[in-house]
Amino acid sequence: MKDRALLLTYLAAVVAASVVHDPLWLGLALVTVLASSGRGAWALTRRVLLAALPFAVAVALGWMLAEGADWRAALTTPLRLGLRVLLMTALAFRVLPLVSLPRALSFSPTLRFVLVLATSQVLAFRRLFTDFRLALTARSPRRVGPRVALRHGAATAAWFLRRAEHDATTMTEALDARGFFLDRD
Amino acid sequence: MHIPDGFIAPQVYAPAYGIAGVLWAAGLRRLRRTLEPAAVPRLAVATAVAYALMLVTIPLPGGTTAHITGVGMMAALFGAWQTFLSLSLVFLIQALMLGDGGVTALPVNALAVGLCGGLAARGALLLIPWRTAALFTAGWIGTVVPAVLVALVLGWQPRLAVAADGQPLFFPFGWSVTLPAIVLPHMLVGVADGLVTVMAWRALGRRSGP
Repeated sequence: MKDRALLLTYLAAVVAASVVHDPLWLGLALVTVLASSGRGAWALTRRVLLAALPFAVAVALGWMLAEGADWRAALTTPLRLGLRVLLMTALAFRVLPLVSLPRALSFSPTLRFVLVLATSQVLAFRRLFTDFRLALTARSPRRVGPRVALRHGAATAAWFLRRAEHDATTMTEALDARGFFLDRD
Repeated sequence: MHIPDGFIAPQVYAPAYGIAGVLWAAGLRRLRRTLEPAAVPRLAVATAVAYALMLVTIPLPGGTTAHITGVGMMAALFGAWQTFLSLSLVFLIQALMLGDGGVTALPVNALAVGLCGGLAARGALLLIPWRTAALFTAGWIGTVVPAVLVALVLGWQPRLAVAADGQPLFFPFGWSVTLPAIVLPHMLVGVADGLVTVMAWRALGRRSGP
């Protein structure tokens, strides 16, 4: 119940951030979210800036160049947009780690089940992908060329697809052995 | 290509949630009703595969790299419906668990990349009789169609949501900027996506047609 309430609060806050357009209010909300993490405020600020600033700055600079003559217009829009993006990112980093998503989605057993299985596989595949990338770099005496990178990409994709077939079979057998499909009937 | 949080107006993401919500509910209902025990684990694993395919980087001229979408490959292996559900779950996991993407952009990303990309790729696979050409086109069109849709949605924002002084409230650039900036690079990424789709299919040793 606590997890679902937190998730709903987060979603409501994100919606609210998308209907507020005054940079002052957006800035105040951002400071409040960052300050709410207490001693972790600096770490949260750094994480938010690293995640959201490059894209927000690229859009802001493009807009400022396009609207250069009108300084008021050139500043207001990027400020509003930048603060909103930073606020939404800060909300995600501040609230979502406190939410257990499987518990929050317990209203749909199928969704919860798929999400748990998928997340475990995603995390495992992400680690394996990093291993493949590091292995390619370690075994290449020179910088990896386009042909090798393309072949490596295709081989990696094929490996993941083959692994997926195998994982789906073993997962089904494991669930079947534990009576999961009987419970669902 | 998928859109981060904060750039899409509520006038767009609210109806997009409505459309995507109906399709997600139908997908879950279909999954629950299926008599095949492997359906749920297969969706979970297909989701992880969709995520892993998005990690694959390919080189572009000029020394840069780009991520493939893997939509063509997903459509060839799992069909358009499962591609949509799997990519929706990828965007959900990215937004709520991995701190990537966003919840306001989620339905637009799911509909553009998962549904329309998957349908376009599946259409190419069904319409083109030559397997290699079909796979290449599926990879290419599965990248380019979502890019066009994302560019259209982003470029629509300054027409849709403006302040009293005429300033844009969300993504500020119109179609004259978004279409060339997003679609042209993705036409190149699509070529690499198509090549990876063909090569991966061959590496899998598939002999029957998709």
